[in-house]
Amino acid sequence: MVDKGFRIKVLRKFVHLPYTYQFLLPILVFLHSKENPAYRIWVRFLLNTFREAYAHRKPVVWANSFLPSEIHYGLDVIPVLPEIISALVTYLGWSERPISKADTRISTDLCTFYRCALGLALENFLPRPDLLLSSSQLCDGANKFFSTMGQLYQCPHLLLDPPYSNHPRSHRYMEEQIEDLLKQASQILSLPFKKDRFSLVLNRSNQARQWIDKINQLRQSIPSPFPGSEGLSYLSGMNFYSVGSIWSIPFFSLLHQEIEKKVSSKKGYLPKEKYRLLWLHHVRPYYKNEIFNILSSKDAAVSFEEANYLYWPFHDSSQPWKSLAEKILSNVWAGPIERRMKAIDEMIRSYSIHGVIHFSHWGCRQSCGGAAIIGDYLKQKGIPYLTLPGDCADPNNYSPGQTRTRLEAFIEMME
Amino acid sequence: MDKGIYVGLDIGSISSEALLLSDERILSYSIIATGPNPHRASRECLKEALSKGGVSEESILRVVATGYGRISVPFKTREVTEITCHARGSHFLFPRTRTVIDIGGQDSKVITLDERGKVTDFVMNDKCAAGTGRFLEVMARALEVELSKMGERALKAKKGVSITSMCTVFAESEVISLIAEGLEVEEILRGLHESIARRIFRMARRLRVRGEITISGGVAKNEGIVEALKSLFGMEINIPNEPQIVGALGAALLAREMS
Repeated sequence: MVDKGFRIKVLRKFVHLPYTYQFLLPILVFLHSKENPAYRIWVRFLLNTFREAYAHRKPVVWANSFLPSEIHYGLDVIPVLPEIISALVTYLGWSERPISKADTRISTDLCTFYRCALGLALENFLPRPDLLLSSSQLCDGANKFFSTMGQLYQCPHLLLDPPYSNHPRSHRYMEEQIEDLLKQASQILSLPFKKDRFSLVLNRSNQARQWIDKINQLRQSIPSPFPGSEGLSYLSGMNFYSVGSIWSIPFFSLLHQEIEKKVSSKKGYLPKEKYRLLWLHHVRPYYKNEIFNILSSKDAAVSFEEANYLYWPFHDSSQPWKSLAEKILSNVWAGPIERRMKAIDEMIRSYSIHGVIHFSHWGCRQSCGGAAIIGDYLKQKGIPYLTLPGDCADPNNYSPGQTRTRLEAFIEMME
Repeated sequence: MDKGIYVGLDIGSISSEALLLSDERILSYSIIATGPNPHRASRECLKEALSKGGVSEESILRVVATGYGRISVPFKTREVTEITCHARGSHFLFPRTRTVIDIGGQDSKVITLDERGKVTDFVMNDKCAAGTGRFLEVMARALEVELSKMGERALKAKKGVSITSMCTVFAESEVISLIAEGLEVEEILRGLHESIARRIFRMARRLRVRGEITISGGVAKNEGIVEALKSLFGMEINIPNEPQIVGALGAALLAREMS
């Protein structure tokens, strides 16, 4: 019997070796050879990012998902998004240990994505950061988490603090903040500050945006060509992590091709589609659970998810700071809730939605806070609505029986 | 008299009920403890109901299973959630019902329905057992009071003591401390009943409670809870003659309506 501490030590050693990702790449690509080609790009993108982060040939910057990814690629750094790492660790069934480790340091009321990442950091599983960047938009736990990481790694932390309103004054304020943050980041990382590089990245981002828009239009087809469970995993993952990188254009264009084939053959992802659902909130539980199987067994398709809603306009690459400010301030999940409700209305219409599920993730003020207001609004319009409380990263907070009853009763309400 | 019958089976965490329906008439019903094997409980309670009704198994036309153990019923025609079944059963008994409070063994729910008995919205407690039958069972044991007499004894106290913990485990410790402090069992009981009722009331306020309220599930037999709820809602509450069979009745009605 091998000692558990020894196994963790060996695992840590492998995780830190850049060759591990090089070795895993052909294996994982082979194992996923039957998946769509876009999925394989996601696998390549992640393994390549991890390899580069652990090899540390370029500066490693940790950032939260709500900071536009164009910032990382414009700075020419290796981005590490702790929330996405937590989701992957959860998917692999390894989240319980880091979460319990983090519970010795931080309140159990905090989001489990951050608790999982904190546990991984405390056990030295993550690549060492050179800089921490976080945005206060949407996620109130992020800044505290990054601040803690700053202390743990003795590493500078820069904060972007977007204002609440979308007023022209807010735009000017945001533009200045972005420019200032990027100059400071370049200085800290001893990187040349190149505005042209940002313009190039924004051009790439625009191309990716075109494909995302086309994908979203295809997903309006009946029956639903693409499963919401995947929309909430690698598709939203690439939306948050890759836009502006060299990976984003092949990923979104290939995914578009795949979905187009399904639409042309009028093939839905379910054998039979009776109900079309909209999933609110950016995430879903990533550990093994029955949520999407229960819905599928009732012929209920998750046709679209707000995580992939395209809220931001095309960038003007000649004015990168202005464009990035525009992207941040047009975020419908921040600011007045009326803006989010308008977007939900649009999604309900465009995707011929019969019912809406709002997943309320443990510790997420952004998602739980608006759930009741959105629910009242939709119920008044006669749209069946379910708030599904749960946790995306901690399987101990999953209650199978109650989740099944809630989902099935919701479907029965629509019958 | 072996006419075609419809069966509703409600396999709950504490008790299981079978109800036989012939046309619109309740032929018979049975209530048994679920025990560790919901599969066996479903067979046993059906057998008992058939025997009470004097009908044979061959006369069963359809079976709808509900309750948390609905998945484990091998001979069901269909499974339907207890939310839909309690709404349907309550509406059948009290057609003006627009809100149902169902307090079961391991969860409690508030359901709103339309004039046809169709569910329009619902809320249920989160995964902890606070405010459920299981909570009362644990407290009855801690206070050494017979479960069936808890409500009656709670009503004897002029006022209840404040119980701050709603977690079943912590509340049990709190109750034990209160006994040690020399407080009257009746006052503690009243406090417990009031805290459960407040919890249900708070859940109900998340919905638009309107029309008549009907209470179903085993806990509806507890006068202490019912009185506390009446006082919080400020209105009368319909109580079925046998609140434990409302889910099974709804299931049987749905079995009859199935095409």
